[in-house]
Amino acid sequence: MAATLTLAIMGLVLGLGLAFAADIFKVEVDNRIEDITELLPGYNCGACGYPGCSGFAEGIVAGEVDNLSDCKPGKDEHYDPILAYIKDHPNADGSHIDVKK
Amino acid sequence: MSFTVFATAIISAMLINNVILMQFLGICPFLGVSKKSSSALGMSAAVLFVMVIASAVTYTLYDLVLYQFNIEYISTIAFILVIASLVQFVEMVIKRYSTSLYKSLGIYLPLITTNCAILGVSEGNIANIWGATVPFGEGLFIAVSTAIGTGLGFGLVIFAFSSIRERLEAANVPKAWRGVPISLIVAGIMSMAFFGLVGVI
Repeated sequence: MAATLTLAIMGLVLGLGLAFAADIFKVEVDNRIEDITELLPGYNCGACGYPGCSGFAEGIVAGEVDNLSDCKPGKDEHYDPILAYIKDHPNADGSHIDVKK
Repeated sequence: MSFTVFATAIISAMLINNVILMQFLGICPFLGVSKKSSSALGMSAAVLFVMVIASAVTYTLYDLVLYQFNIEYISTIAFILVIASLVQFVEMVIKRYSTSLYKSLGIYLPLITTNCAILGVSEGNIANIWGATVPFGEGLFIAVSTAIGTGLGFGLVIFAFSSIRERLEAANVPKAWRGVPISLIVAGIMSMAFFGLVGVI
């Protein structure tokens, strides 16, 4: 009985502590990164200078990438949906990501 | 609670009873996260933090709860609960503040939960230090000192080992020995070197 209670109370206290910690240390993940990664060719060739397609997508969202054509294997069929996606999904402050084809 | 007790516990746990080379605990991160010295340092910091807090919490828990209610037999599962929560917490902090460290530690970060070095220190504290007649404050002090020493010893060995492995990358090793085999030989030689420290205290 004492053992069960001890473990139950410990679980409750530690769980609550972790729940609060998760709230304090939560990482804001921009889900546009994942969506743009899906739209890229997906070869992970690294020709754009970033580590793989998800790295390139992170660069696009961060505004570091000027031209989508840095993605060498990409063609218009990849670039156009990304530009359309970026148009539909502005930054949190309402501005648009500045990137050309 | 004197400095002598503190220094003795640190040196004995760090050099003489080194957790990796003498007790053979925590071998998994020792071989897994020692390819780059920067991730080895990150790993040691995470292990040191978890080890010190876990030792303090588990010692207190054992003395004030498990012993009082005669339920010492649940110590293993209770300790693992504490350690697992701490690791979750460390994971959150590292993910928040250093994505690159989070990526380089990979699976070995959540695996600190099952790192036998940490459970080993917690259980070792109970076996070696705790006693019904030992005053709580004094025991806790020695337990925490031992944990700091063990964590530093872990860091020292894993950092030295990762530095050696970085040099080995460029060395002309016979083909059959490249990679893991030569690393295991190095670990064995390091262990023999640490045997030379037995009997210092």
